[in-house]
Amino acid sequence: MEFHGPSTVDEAVSLLAADEDARCLAGGATLVAMMNADLVMPSALVSLRHIAALGGIAADAGGGLRIGAMTTHREVADAAGLDGAHALISETARAIGHPAIRNMGTIGGSIGHGDPQADYPAALVALDASVELRGPDGARAVPAQDFFVDYLETALQPGELITAVTLPPSPAGGFGAYEKFARVEGDYATVSVAAAVAMEAGRCRYVRVALGSCGPIPVRAEDAEARLAGTALADEDVAAAAAVLRDACDPVDDVRGSGEYRMMLVEPLLGRALRAAAAKGGAR
Amino acid sequence: MNDYVSPVGQGIPRLETRDKITGRAVYADDMSRPDMLVGVIVPSPHAHARITGYDVSAALALDGVAAVVTGVDIGDHKIGPFVKDETALAVGKVRYMGEPVAAVAAVDLETARQAARLIDISYEELPAVFDTDAATAADAPALHEGFADYIKVFEADSDRNAMAIIEIVEGDVDAAWERCAAIVEGSYETQAQCHTYMEPCSALAEIDSNGKITIWSSNQSVFHVQSFVADSLGLPMSKLRCVTPQVGGAFGGKMEQTVQPAAAALARATGRPVKVTLSREQDFEMIRSRHPGKVWMKTGAAADGTLLAREVRIVLDAGAYADDSPGVAGIAALFCRGPYRIENVSIESRPVYTNKLRSGAFRGFGGPQVAIAGETQIDEIADRLGMDPIDLRLKNVVLPGEEWMIGVALNKAGLSECLERVRAACGWDAKRKAVSNGSGRKRGIGLACIPHISGVLTSGAIVRILEDGTAVLNTGAVDNGQGSDTVLVQICAAALGLEVDQVSVATPDTDGSPYNWGTTASRVTYMAGRAVVAAAEDAVAQLKQRAAVMMECAEEDLELRDGGRIGIKGVPEAEIGFRDISGFSHWVAGGPVIGTNSLAYDGPDFDPKRGYLKGFPFGKIGAWIFAAQAVEVEVDEATGRIVPLKVWSAHDIGKAINPTAVEGQIQGGIVQGLGYALCEEMVWDSGRLANPSLMDYKIPGIMDVPPEIDTMLVEDPDEHGPFGAKGVGEPPIVGIAPAISNAVAHATGTRLRRLPMTPERVLRALRG
Amino acid sequence: MSEAIPISLTVNGRTHRLFVQPWHTLLQVLREQISLTGSKRGCNQGVCGACSVMIDGAVMRGCLTLAADAAGREIVTVEGLAVGGALSPVQQALLDHGAVQCGFCMPGMAVAATALLADNPSPSDAEIRDGLSGNLCRCSGYVKVVEAVRSASAGGAS
Repeated sequence: MEFHGPSTVDEAVSLLAADEDARCLAGGATLVAMMNADLVMPSALVSLRHIAALGGIAADAGGGLRIGAMTTHREVADAAGLDGAHALISETARAIGHPAIRNMGTIGGSIGHGDPQADYPAALVALDASVELRGPDGARAVPAQDFFVDYLETALQPGELITAVTLPPSPAGGFGAYEKFARVEGDYATVSVAAAVAMEAGRCRYVRVALGSCGPIPVRAEDAEARLAGTALADEDVAAAAAVLRDACDPVDDVRGSGEYRMMLVEPLLGRALRAAAAKGGAR
Repeated sequence: MNDYVSPVGQGIPRLETRDKITGRAVYADDMSRPDMLVGVIVPSPHAHARITGYDVSAALALDGVAAVVTGVDIGDHKIGPFVKDETALAVGKVRYMGEPVAAVAAVDLETARQAARLIDISYEELPAVFDTDAATAADAPALHEGFADYIKVFEADSDRNAMAIIEIVEGDVDAAWERCAAIVEGSYETQAQCHTYMEPCSALAEIDSNGKITIWSSNQSVFHVQSFVADSLGLPMSKLRCVTPQVGGAFGGKMEQTVQPAAAALARATGRPVKVTLSREQDFEMIRSRHPGKVWMKTGAAADGTLLAREVRIVLDAGAYADDSPGVAGIAALFCRGPYRIENVSIESRPVYTNKLRSGAFRGFGGPQVAIAGETQIDEIADRLGMDPIDLRLKNVVLPGEEWMIGVALNKAGLSECLERVRAACGWDAKRKAVSNGSGRKRGIGLACIPHISGVLTSGAIVRILEDGTAVLNTGAVDNGQGSDTVLVQICAAALGLEVDQVSVATPDTDGSPYNWGTTASRVTYMAGRAVVAAAEDAVAQLKQRAAVMMECAEEDLELRDGGRIGIKGVPEAEIGFRDISGFSHWVAGGPVIGTNSLAYDGPDFDPKRGYLKGFPFGKIGAWIFAAQAVEVEVDEATGRIVPLKVWSAHDIGKAINPTAVEGQIQGGIVQGLGYALCEEMVWDSGRLANPSLMDYKIPGIMDVPPEIDTMLVEDPDEHGPFGAKGVGEPPIVGIAPAISNAVAHATGTRLRRLPMTPERVLRALRG
Repeated sequence: MSEAIPISLTVNGRTHRLFVQPWHTLLQVLREQISLTGSKRGCNQGVCGACSVMIDGAVMRGCLTLAADAAGREIVTVEGLAVGGALSPVQQALLDHGAVQCGFCMPGMAVAATALLADNPSPSDAEIRDGLSGNLCRCSGYVKVVEAVRSASAGGAS
């Protein structure tokens, strides 16, 4: 096994391109755990720690937000002054694991693993985020919704690495909420709901919702959002939207809960996420 | 005079704390020896299979591999505390997935693991059974064809894969049902709980040129290690020396064999020191768990709340080997009546072999499996009769001077006071009247009572007075972290009138320590403590004998004085310090002062005339201890989650030698009980453990436990206990699940009969 | 086996020049190469927290950090908490409150508590619990651990 510590993205890309079995080492929280369990043994590790360009959170002039791939969960959790719905990403980061994992884990490392039980994927889909990639053929951006392809499978191509996650400007008057239900604190979600909502005069003017741990990738249903738009998010609206979302779910049975139970959680958690997001607007 | 304060009753920090918080404390895996090899165990990939061949040549050919041992090498030497039914490495057959089949020693862990993968063992798969129903079906395969010929330490019937049938009958339940105004009946299911001690099992074995093997290991009794390693390898016990460094928790899981036989076998095969430390995954798959239980129970009471009858059928899933199963099944039978005067009982308890990980001792030892049934039925009866659950219990609890089933006398029983203390502390009467309305998050409070014992079998102690008048205490009792070293030193110091720092404690070592059966059965404070008091008294008698010579007076005129002195009664200035006496005894006359004691539990026995008892695998069992626990919960009706808000726990402990340590034991037991009640469950999928990791098997973290746990100590000194003390280790875990089930019923009207009460099970129950 | 990598590892203020394999974890190297066995291996999966160390001031997992990736960073283990033989305030409080039972989790717990108080000298009870939420203890029920950390904090009664 080789170990590399490049200082530029280009160097990292050429190392990855040269060896199909090489893996990026970001925070290590997932990859090293898998190596310890003998589940993976890459031929080379490309540590991204020394690439300064992969760090940092920055707002752009248009109101968007760019989060470097090596930004830790803690940095995202502690990011202050995020605009409107963007605060959802901080709330989500705070829900990940516990302090040591938040100090180690990075947003790029987390989403690059493509685990639908992780916290970021649903939040990024709800925020309509894009994932910036760099490979031998240059840079490209993939909408979060398309980045997650299947269970533990992403749009990353051989030789590519994640350089950043970008969020479009927060919808006007929009706020977000992340509702996570887990067996114990710090566990992977049994079901999670990320919601971005803008209310106007008691009615839902904008809504975008994604579910975690309910299928091989984050679950989103535009019909469900359409059902909620214009409503006051009353119980029957939530119930109707949840029914649509459930049709899009394909949850597994595992030690965190049966697929059937996950389906039972969709409606109450959806309601809580939507109302928590809406309430943040109300509090202003 | 001096300002000596007896160390008994002082909440001093544990003696080894400083080492533990600076990283200096040495646990087995922290040790290394010159030229040491690393051992890895090869697990069975099948749940039930005949071994048809071994090919270890590729593993042995690997550079850095020193030896491979298999069942063929160690031989068919069977071990087991109740039934000798297993070998340290499988011989002939494997009976669960994860069973140790071979072990390999190599220069480092990577090489050993690689070699383990190269060991080629062929199997012929056999039909397997994964639950007790399948195992007791008419066409079930026999797990142990030779069961009839196995050595057993008890007499009981057996039937198919049921290794024992234990029965307790008193009175006439059938006649009693007619007199009952309320009868409740139900089936209850409990799960396998993993001990999840933080330190995975580890052992280091080293052999000398005379063939004597020294084993440092994480365990609950060095003497037990010596015995089962000797049995498993066919060695005389004199060829083994077993030592215990610090132990990172045990809870019953390290009482029987773990990796010591494999480490010893590898040391013998290589002639070099070998350390075997399990990965967390292997520890889950290979060692043991709490028995899953299926309990059917029926309880009846008269209209005034007098409990009249209880009938119980207990089936425990023992897994592939008996281990402590007959004992656990026996204790479950003995405790399932609950701490109540019920004159008519009919109880049957069966431990049943299945093709899964062995079940064994775990804090509570059969108590938790029956408490969920018994203590929720008491609440259901109270409900039927319109009585308060505490009032109903107070009416029926056993009282001092009464007898337990089959005639064991209760000298002391402080349960009524435990109940009253909990009732007052938790605001029971007001909280029970509050009714949750509507849907959403509902609150409720529930309670449970626990009977247990503290004692069993044998212990010894040696108190040696050193030349300078300080002392060294040697009991051989292993401190698993609960604080027994500290407590025993406090007892010893108090009995000698010395300060705690004037008494040193010897590391358990089979070459030098007196026998102690084990750190189990909530017994070390009570049993080893009694031996320590008696050994200290023996030392004091010897000190007086030497002092009488020095002071030229009669021994009976002498008294022990605080601060390490012997003086003449009534003459304050006539005294002599331990240092002078010890100097005299070492260098002039009398010989070194070495106080000793050895005892077997000698409490009241069963009364064969009182009832029918069959297959019970213990003799005299111990002093009775009791507890009452209440839990207030909030139930989220949308998700099914139960949030424990606060726990109150009152314990009949005789006397707290170290109140801080007692509180810590209770708090820790409660949190294990919360895990058992709410989230911990080992899940098998056709013989394969589906969650053998801390990622997938969840024990409570700090965020999952209530911020407040109120512990109450009821101190009514036991007449035989050291300074009146009894044990406290096990009861705290037992009442939590039934108290929560009762609280959920109070909050929602829904009764939960299956553990753990996961949000999914709760939500399904709430939705009917 | 591949070529070992030369690294220089700074632990508790002391720099060690070592050769490691790329897959060697910091925990493994601490325990096996520089005899710092205070950090424990409870799961090797980052869940139990017994291997917690501070890296550049932040609490992290020794078992999920590759030694090669830790080179050049400031590492503090449980052995580095007590200075000049005197227990640190967190260690003293854990001792005084009887928070330690088997002790296997304690090196990680003490490191996590130290990192918490360095960031937030006066945490609320909820913040203490959050700060220690990655450290499993099977003995104590956590009650006395919280009491100890509270008393070691700037707001705690000493």
